[in-house]
Amino acid sequence: MTRLLRVELRRLWLRRMTWAACVLALVAVGIGIATQVGTARPPTDAQIAEAERFYADELAWWEEHGEEEVASCEEAEAAEGDGADYGCEEMGPRLEHYLPPTSTFVPDAAELDGPSVAADVDGAVAPDPAVAAVQGSLWSGWSGLPSLVPVATGLLMLAFVVGVSFMTAEQGSGALGMWLTFEPRRRRVYWSKAVAAALGTVPVVLLGWAALVGGAYAVYARFGTLGDVTGPVWVQVAAFSGRLVLAGAAFAAIGVALGVLLRHAAAAVGVGAGVLWLSTVFAYSLGGLQRWTPALNFDAWLRDGATYEVVRTTMGEDGTYAEEWVTRVVAGWQGGLYLLALTVVLSLVALVVFRRRDVS
Amino acid sequence: MNQWWIDGPATPPPEEVAALDGELAIETHGLRKTYRSVRGRAVCVEGLDLEVPVGGVHGFLGPNGSGKTTTIRMLLGLVRPDRGTARIFGHEVPKRLPDVVGRVGAIVESPKFFPAFSARSNLRLLADAIGAPRGRVDAVLEEVGLAGRARDRYKGYSLGMKQRLAIAATLLKDPDLLIFDEPTNGLDPAGIREIRRTMRGLADRGRTVLVSSHILGEVEQIADTVSIVARGRLVASGRVADLIGAGGRGSVRVRVAPDDLIIATSLLETGGLTVRREHDALVVDGGPDPAALNRALGERGVWARELVPQQADLESVFLGLTQHEAPGGRTHAGGRRRGRRRGAQPAEPTPPETGATQEVAR
Repeated sequence: MTRLLRVELRRLWLRRMTWAACVLALVAVGIGIATQVGTARPPTDAQIAEAERFYADELAWWEEHGEEEVASCEEAEAAEGDGADYGCEEMGPRLEHYLPPTSTFVPDAAELDGPSVAADVDGAVAPDPAVAAVQGSLWSGWSGLPSLVPVATGLLMLAFVVGVSFMTAEQGSGALGMWLTFEPRRRRVYWSKAVAAALGTVPVVLLGWAALVGGAYAVYARFGTLGDVTGPVWVQVAAFSGRLVLAGAAFAAIGVALGVLLRHAAAAVGVGAGVLWLSTVFAYSLGGLQRWTPALNFDAWLRDGATYEVVRTTMGEDGTYAEEWVTRVVAGWQGGLYLLALTVVLSLVALVVFRRRDVS
Repeated sequence: MNQWWIDGPATPPPEEVAALDGELAIETHGLRKTYRSVRGRAVCVEGLDLEVPVGGVHGFLGPNGSGKTTTIRMLLGLVRPDRGTARIFGHEVPKRLPDVVGRVGAIVESPKFFPAFSARSNLRLLADAIGAPRGRVDAVLEEVGLAGRARDRYKGYSLGMKQRLAIAATLLKDPDLLIFDEPTNGLDPAGIREIRRTMRGLADRGRTVLVSSHILGEVEQIADTVSIVARGRLVASGRVADLIGAGGRGSVRVRVAPDDLIIATSLLETGGLTVRREHDALVVDGGPDPAALNRALGERGVWARELVPQQADLESVFLGLTQHEAPGGRTHAGGRRRGRRRGAQPAEPTPPETGATQEVAR
């Protein structure tokens, strides 16, 4: 088995597809780093001067009409009743509203999503600490480090495609038949291919991610907008890297399994990408079942927790129905178990098919 | 019926009999394979009993679609039989295939390698998979004449080079049994001769070569024994010479003076021979001895102007067997006695050629 695994690993790295995946990974990393330049750069003097001019104009207008605006707001707020808060005290102009958005490598608390307004706990609408914890975590923001997560997801898709191609190319070329005349123990053959794909894609994913984080760090450091880069942040980055590597291995193994089951690379990639796309696009229509969709669970595993929203319909005291969005949590461990179960089940089904299928 | 002019089947040399009676390289019993599709179920191999003796070249013949490739795939564990058993060197396959696969090299249909890899890379992967030393790769490439093109990508190879690379791959294991399925498909005459020479050479070095083909001329030139299948069943097996001799028996073309045609026909038919008229000549079927014919005519004062023996070849035997083969029909030739197994059908009535072949199965 070890000998076969070594051979399969060598074959994986002899394949142009693997090297093409490396190039694509580099391109994705490059684009990911380039997009950081715009958000990492602090405002230029000209931008600040222009913002100050607009701010001064607005402030002058506000000094003349501000009281009138606030009074109107408070009047509307009082008419709404039930402790409605229109934020009338915050209506005045601020300079930061006129400056281009700037983020830091490590988002500060203000940049992260705020705590959930409402969450479902035991049937009652109340603040949910789990939701707050997920939404307040490092990886839930949309700038700086967390904005790199979509690129990491792209690396996972590359691992998946490498896994699919690794299997379907051999089946398509007919080389599998020749291979089996040298090693007819199909269980060994299957596992050697699946494990080789899983192990072989680890460097692509890991180095790609390392280059991405390193590049983004360099960009933010260049503009002096690193933010509060502390030891615990690097611990979180390391933990994320570990989860990403495991996910990459799982994606490659799933790719091999789908390659066996569907035989054609386009079909396997289409099914994989299609399931992710459908489970993202139609997530809301699934309601509470969203917690079992692949995309959400993969995201939960990577970010160590993810949230989703469902519409909750309640009946008011006056007998009318009202709808409200309720945020719920998919824990990181659930995402991990989901990914593990999917990998194991698909691999076992593929193994059974691989062992029994006639090779033409 | 007087048959004094018919030669009997040649007695095989004692050493060949010994080889045929010895260990079997391949043995199948009641092998059956069906394929299911939306259009229904197609029986590809139907109760095939095949025996390939150790040593020499064994031709595995049959028309297209007769189940040759499927049988080979079943032997190699690539296809699962529905029923029946198969053994290679006494090991049941596919169950015990791992025990014996190191002794078997095979090319099934056209060679299949990784197209983007070089010949050397392809062979190195295979060599590493079986733990063969790296030096063996260059040795087999040298052996098949591809050492100079070892770095070229496989997809750039000509068909002949691909075949040679496939042979090189089979030699990596230094196998005792080589299975070649239609090895000369698409090759030019030089390539065909080269492959033929290679197979014969391997057999001469003590290996067993099973070559499946529907091109009978090439098999006839190199095979020691053959098995003929049609519609998934074995219809004949034995030594090539026996099958040709017993199956076709040949004919003799006799030219006499035009005035003597009628009397010559009468004389020969009286002797129990089958005589046909072809233009201004007579064709005597049934493998008569030309000298005996000449004597028989001369004794009656009819002088032959021309006597041309026309030997049957494997093709005529093959066509006779496969075109008239009925389910259950089976013919054996040669020194080895094949016992009829339980469930096997008695041989069906056979055409004249195969009827003769049946006589030697005793």
